[in-house]
Amino acid sequence: MNFWKPMLVAVSATLIAPLTSAKAEDATAVTIVLPAGPDRLDPCETPRSVIGRIIKQNVVETLVELDYTNRTTLPRLAESWEQTAPTEWVFKLRQGVTFHDGTPFDAKAVIHSLERTNDPALTCITRTKYLDGTDVKATEIDAHTVKFTTKTAVPILPTLLAQLAISSVNTPKGEYTATPIGTGPYKFDHWTQGENVVLIRSDAYWGNKPLIDKATYVWRSESSVAAAMVETGEADLAFSIAPQDAINPETDKVYPNSDSALFRLSVDIPPLNDVRVRKAINLAIDRQAFLGSIISDKAELAMQQVGPSVLGFNANLKPWPYDPEQAKALLAQAKADGVDVDREIRMIGRPAMFANSNEFVEAAAEMLRSVGFTIKLDNLEMSQWLKMANKPFAEDRQPNVFLTMHDNNSGDAAFTAFFKYHSNGRQSELHDADLDALIVDAGTQAGAKRAEEYNEVFRRIYEDIVADVPLFHMVNYMRVGKRLDFTPTIANAVELQLAKLKLN
Amino acid sequence: MGSFIFKRSLQSVFSLVVLIILVFFLARMTGSPADLYLPQDASLEVRNQFNEQLGFNDPLYVQFGRFFWGLLHFDMGQSLQFSRPAVEVVLQAFPTTLTLAAITMPLVLLLSIVTGSLAAFRPGGVFDRLASFISLIGASTPNFWVAIVGVLVFAVTLRVLPTSGTGTPLHWVLPVAVLMLRPTGVLVQVVRTSMMTALSSAYIKTARAKGVGSRAIVFVHALRNGLLPVITVASDQAAGIVNGAVIVETVFGFPGIGKLMIDSVMLRDFAVIQAAVLVTALAVFIINIIVDITYALVDPRIRYS
Amino acid sequence: MPLSIRVSGTAEMNAPVSLTLQTSATSSGFRDAIGLLWRDKLATLSAILLLIVLVCVLLGPWLLADKARAVNLMARNAPPFSIDKGWMFFLGADALGRSLLARIIVASQNTMVIATSAVCLSLVLGGLFGLIAGYKGGWVSALLLRLADAIMSFPSMLLAVIVLFVFDPGITNVIFVLAISRIPIFLRTVRAEVLEIKERMFVTAARAMGARTDRILLRHIAPMVLPTVINLAALEIAFVMLVESGLSFLGIGIQPPEVTWGLMVADGRNYLGSAWWLAFWPGVAIMLVTMALNLLSNWLRVVTDPVERWRLQTTVSRHD
Repeated sequence: MNFWKPMLVAVSATLIAPLTSAKAEDATAVTIVLPAGPDRLDPCETPRSVIGRIIKQNVVETLVELDYTNRTTLPRLAESWEQTAPTEWVFKLRQGVTFHDGTPFDAKAVIHSLERTNDPALTCITRTKYLDGTDVKATEIDAHTVKFTTKTAVPILPTLLAQLAISSVNTPKGEYTATPIGTGPYKFDHWTQGENVVLIRSDAYWGNKPLIDKATYVWRSESSVAAAMVETGEADLAFSIAPQDAINPETDKVYPNSDSALFRLSVDIPPLNDVRVRKAINLAIDRQAFLGSIISDKAELAMQQVGPSVLGFNANLKPWPYDPEQAKALLAQAKADGVDVDREIRMIGRPAMFANSNEFVEAAAEMLRSVGFTIKLDNLEMSQWLKMANKPFAEDRQPNVFLTMHDNNSGDAAFTAFFKYHSNGRQSELHDADLDALIVDAGTQAGAKRAEEYNEVFRRIYEDIVADVPLFHMVNYMRVGKRLDFTPTIANAVELQLAKLKLN
Repeated sequence: MGSFIFKRSLQSVFSLVVLIILVFFLARMTGSPADLYLPQDASLEVRNQFNEQLGFNDPLYVQFGRFFWGLLHFDMGQSLQFSRPAVEVVLQAFPTTLTLAAITMPLVLLLSIVTGSLAAFRPGGVFDRLASFISLIGASTPNFWVAIVGVLVFAVTLRVLPTSGTGTPLHWVLPVAVLMLRPTGVLVQVVRTSMMTALSSAYIKTARAKGVGSRAIVFVHALRNGLLPVITVASDQAAGIVNGAVIVETVFGFPGIGKLMIDSVMLRDFAVIQAAVLVTALAVFIINIIVDITYALVDPRIRYS
Repeated sequence: MPLSIRVSGTAEMNAPVSLTLQTSATSSGFRDAIGLLWRDKLATLSAILLLIVLVCVLLGPWLLADKARAVNLMARNAPPFSIDKGWMFFLGADALGRSLLARIIVASQNTMVIATSAVCLSLVLGGLFGLIAGYKGGWVSALLLRLADAIMSFPSMLLAVIVLFVFDPGITNVIFVLAISRIPIFLRTVRAEVLEIKERMFVTAARAMGARTDRILLRHIAPMVLPTVINLAALEIAFVMLVESGLSFLGIGIQPPEVTWGLMVADGRNYLGSAWWLAFWPGVAIMLVTMALNLLSNWLRVVTDPVERWRLQTTVSRHD
């Protein structure tokens, strides 16, 4: 019965014009496997990792670049900047830079990019996530000097502008583009829907000429297949593979991905409105047991919702011990005081929130059950999950232990504190007037004072209020093929600078 | 014959309309896309703007009217995820799936008719037992399991086939083999059963008893009679290839319509869901019309009616 | 002449035999059936296996629910064929260190309930519509067929995803979605058979003698269609289990803490490279049940056909 194989090959040969396989023909070309393909390659959407990891700092660049290790900002397309007034910033632009379409990089291009991003006809994430509410405007001082003005004082404007990718004035306003034109070391070549995106090196780049001359991006949602592609040499780098596929320490490298997982507790709903019950939950989950089993052993225990690369991260908080006996004791105390600790609590997860997240919630639910909680586990699909995550919360909801994952890769706690903990935050369960005041005040501060106030915010949430159950700062595994010499960092959560790839 | 096809096509338009209404309202019942396309901390203003621009604030019947009006002008709307016309997105993905199906189905039919018939000729024989056993394994193995094991064995361990993707004909071997698995398994069973019925039916027995013709002629007669249920099941399997394609396209990174559909539901990209369902439905209707014609050709007693 | 009598007699003989098998009303018929079953060793084996599965379905969750849920991260992915941790771990442990054996047994309930109810539902509805469509013809047939087309052209995976997003992916909803998406195949199969059978001599004769339509359909035609439909149903049960598994693969479908074989295979696929047993055993369970059902349905088809039955009784000894 083996007649069909050669026939199949013959049939398909006539049906599909064989394309040249990119594999290892070109010594300086690379193939990169992503977990998901892009939907649009618009410069104003670079904060979304499906887009950013292809074009950010490769095709399109930003005025300012974030330095994650030192929690600070570096110049990129801007040479320098200064705050001339509380609501005014002046940026000096790099000279002699041209876009891939030949137009010069100047103040006009910056203004065009900002206007395009702020256009309400588009829902650019750079606007909706970062610039919304600042009312930032740009005006030309001279060809290479731009003045930014904001409605209120924004001490972290450079951090915000690190999200704004600058594109050529020929990028149309009011519609998304699939052909980004930037100033970066790589030109966009083509995008075949569902198959690949190809970038090629730009010879007119203003900086150092990178080693890699062509990058082909493909995507595979199955981690095992992505890992296999690198192993067989079909690809050189798999962006993210599951911990169980990362079995080769030579090629599989770990990096923090700026995601922090935690259980949010509905602090208003009995029995979770009793702080002893919330503490008991924290004590009952054996976080350490997950590390090295279903969560990577390189992940770190979390005490707050932001990671160490974020300004405002509080390094002094101590992890909860695993102490089921004390948890039981707290529950018994609460019960003695008339708290209905036997009420069914709903634990809510979401499939594929992170690698093995289904297994994680199943195990966590068991841990809570074993100290005496009554847990009903529900895994919700993204849209239903979002409905529960966001306000308005349902009036008659059950007490819930709600698994969320927050990624703050902007480098500043402002993007977390308000949204997650202020009374008016969209995903906040809290309404504590003192905390609200502190969060608002921290947002207006700069430098050390800012860090100090955010530290206090996170301490109160963690130690005094016990608003949630922080779990882990997550990591990703990147499989780097033997041809490449590359060590991923936290920056790779949102971008992958091809210029940093070296060959062995 | 010509009038039959015409009449049948008219009736299919009815099915299409039913289907379109079904898809439109079912898809919208899955919830609003706003939260999926905007950052979780997007302000209320931004969310309203988004819904307003895309018309999600209008009552459903207004949205449906707009959709139907567009449909009459062959306009299926914009894809939310790709911000391109939905038809374009779908038509770009469709050929891959169609090619997969066009390679898979003939191979399935050939393999299953030959195997099933041979098995039916000597029920209980060694070949029959073996064919049944293997085909049942085929019909009951999850295809994603086979796909991933296939990659691990043929691409990683043996290094004879590429892991995934498109490009060379070799890239199609694993996907097609995985896609063939279930239809072949099922059809071998169906062919075997109906051939056995046909072979044991009165007139074949009579023919055999009378010693008419060779074994081959008897066989062909039986095949012709046993083919009706085979055609029915085969058409169902052909229509179901889209299902298999979802899995195959997901594992092997094939840019086909199956994965596109599922992704579009996840992302509430209504325009693409509608366009994709419409395009696959058209293909299925064509298959069904062909099937009805084949019924009549195989069994002259069935008239076009 | 004798041949044609026997064939038309099939319809009449069919119903009583299958009836006895299902209800085991008369002991002689039951003994007879057991005797016939014993002659076909594979069918016997299948019947025994299905009985075991039935026991698991009925008692499994009641006996082993706690064992199937007990997380032990120390025993994560414990390999099979070792009884260091007790017999429960003979098939190994899953990613949370839960006994695979216990989970397979507990999961049998959901799996079989979903598969059999979905298939029975679509068999009854599809079969009924198919009988009507095939026998009546005209606009009734056309309407039913085009509705079937509409369902059939809606890829069942997609339909399932949408419906499970609208309603929650509980067991009842999964059953309904799968049942609805499988109605067309039964409808079309039955209709095709009816088209052929209704032209046969005995039906024309019954009609000429003035028998009522429902009587002709249920007494004369339905029993003739039954063997094909039962064979199809046996295959469909596998299909439903696989679609359900496919849904889990895509991250929809039954959600933990509920468990089915399909879900276990889908979860285990993440570990195919490192711990093959996670996906393998539940896969084997699906395969064995499919095979048993099909062997048994084939056997049933043979014994309910007098011609075949005669042959079986005389020749079966040669094959084994």
